[in-house]
Amino acid sequence: MIYLDNNATTRVAPEVFDAMRPYLTDTYGNPSSAHSLGRQMKSAVERAREQVAELLGAADASEIVFTSCGSESDNWAIGGFLEQNPTRRHIITTRVEHEAVRTLCEHLAEIGCEVTWLEVDGSGELDLDDLRRALRRDTGIVSVMLANNETGVLFPIDEIGKVVRENSDAVFHVDGVQAVGKIPIDLKEFDVDLFALSGHKLHAPQGVGALYIRNGVKLPSFIIGGGQESGRRAGTSAVPNIVGLGAACELARTTNIDGHESIMKLRNKLEDEILQTIPNARLNGTADRAKRLPNTANISFEYLEGENIMLHLDKAGISVSTGSACHSTTRESSPTLRAMNVPYAAAQGSIRFSLGRYNTEAEIDQTLKVLPEIIGKLAEMSPYDEQLKSLYAAHGRSINS
Amino acid sequence: MVGLLPDLFRASKSGIITSMQRNATQTEELFFDPKHVGEATEPSFIGRSASFQCGATLRVSLHVDDAARITEAKFKAAGCSVLVASASLLMEQVVGKTTGEAAALGQQVAALREKLGALPPERSECPAMVCEALVAAIQKYSDTAREEWEGDEALICTCFCVSERTIEREIQARGLKTIAEVTGACRAGAGCRSCYPLIEDILEEVNGKW
Repeated sequence: MIYLDNNATTRVAPEVFDAMRPYLTDTYGNPSSAHSLGRQMKSAVERAREQVAELLGAADASEIVFTSCGSESDNWAIGGFLEQNPTRRHIITTRVEHEAVRTLCEHLAEIGCEVTWLEVDGSGELDLDDLRRALRRDTGIVSVMLANNETGVLFPIDEIGKVVRENSDAVFHVDGVQAVGKIPIDLKEFDVDLFALSGHKLHAPQGVGALYIRNGVKLPSFIIGGGQESGRRAGTSAVPNIVGLGAACELARTTNIDGHESIMKLRNKLEDEILQTIPNARLNGTADRAKRLPNTANISFEYLEGENIMLHLDKAGISVSTGSACHSTTRESSPTLRAMNVPYAAAQGSIRFSLGRYNTEAEIDQTLKVLPEIIGKLAEMSPYDEQLKSLYAAHGRSINS
Repeated sequence: MVGLLPDLFRASKSGIITSMQRNATQTEELFFDPKHVGEATEPSFIGRSASFQCGATLRVSLHVDDAARITEAKFKAAGCSVLVASASLLMEQVVGKTTGEAAALGQQVAALREKLGALPPERSECPAMVCEALVAAIQKYSDTAREEWEGDEALICTCFCVSERTIEREIQARGLKTIAEVTGACRAGAGCRSCYPLIEDILEEVNGKW
């Protein structure tokens, strides 16, 4: 199995599993309990909090609150702010956010909030002047992702944070789910108030996330109940998962220094060879690799349908994702690609390759061997013969060769 | 291989309905190794369909012999796994059939859906697209065949070779009022339905005179 879907989820790292194992077997107890078992659990949670804070470059571990997932963190950040500030109902976000933010903001717009949607250009990038113009005195919260889950395009949150600070009193929330563990982050250097992350995107198990809440930012509890997480998030702490998240952050911090480089080298090889050798392949998202995650390549195979490509790759033992309408329950192609004005026939054939720490060069070579055969076979089947013929002819080839 | 198409085989994977499971296996094989991909030998008759919702497109081409029998049925598709499997299945069914028999199959979307196994609701339009393209291709054939017809009596329904005279006679003898009644009486219009406007004209003409 060649797993190239690490933006969807990642394998739990053996180091993470080893760290969790005691808390799934011999070491148990409720961290809220006062006895020694409870205290032991409590200290495991606090150690994990420090590990997360360190990876994010938070000024203090107390700025990290554990949640159940990235979506909870995003919902809490935006929903919690609005609960606290019911009169500041102007929200600014982007067209290409993850559903956890996008669908929430659509919902908030329906129930009386005013949402300004920032557009992206064909490369998937924002125009910060749009943001400057959108900011108002009553703007409550600005929510922008750090890395796009589909294209890997990075938004300049350092600059965005400055623009927000200079032009408004708005709180700045960053959905960092797709970026944590993939690029270095140093939150104390940025004007970021809230920052969401999810464990399973960086080799921790599913079911754990965190929200960074900058010291001094007030956010009411989203889950009401006991006094866990210093009264900020009720519910018994998921100690094994939290320990896993901590260990995953530690692993990312200590090993990804060159890990990013080696993943990027493999991604570049995959991307370059596909774009050079497959005539109907085109890159989605900026070609400037400094502005993209090192692990992601979103490539459209024009005039083909993505689910077909995905299933043929799956049969060949290679896991990827597609932005095709056929694969979504809404029967619409990816909103991110549509926001980038990717032509319909290209959005339909989009495939996301997202690499991870366990991919090898042999796996990339195998993918590069299998993929052209699949694309060739599907090109022969496509009713867009004329368009494909001319694309192939431009490469000095015919579809059947 | 069963279960590789996860959405498609949700129901069949539960193992409750074994015939569905059999169909699902066949559907999966048809997707990975589709039959009848390409273009029929010229002269061919082409039908197209497309979904504005999901963006899928399909082209069917047929080669038909002098006895109105389909000798080749080919398709090209840019669409989901269900579309490809549906097209492969329907093409397989219509080869060797007369255009009338094939058009009748093309009207039975539900039967095609059933042969594919348990489809999630959002995929139920994919087999319909294939039927639409097939019928459109047969209509092209029918229009041509009608124009080229050199018999004594004008040919109306090319699928079932029903002449204008026969339809007029049936309308007069039985007092027919609707196309459905004409189809019930003499099969005219039971195939690709390209003759519907012509039958409508005959109905008006005869019943007007009556």
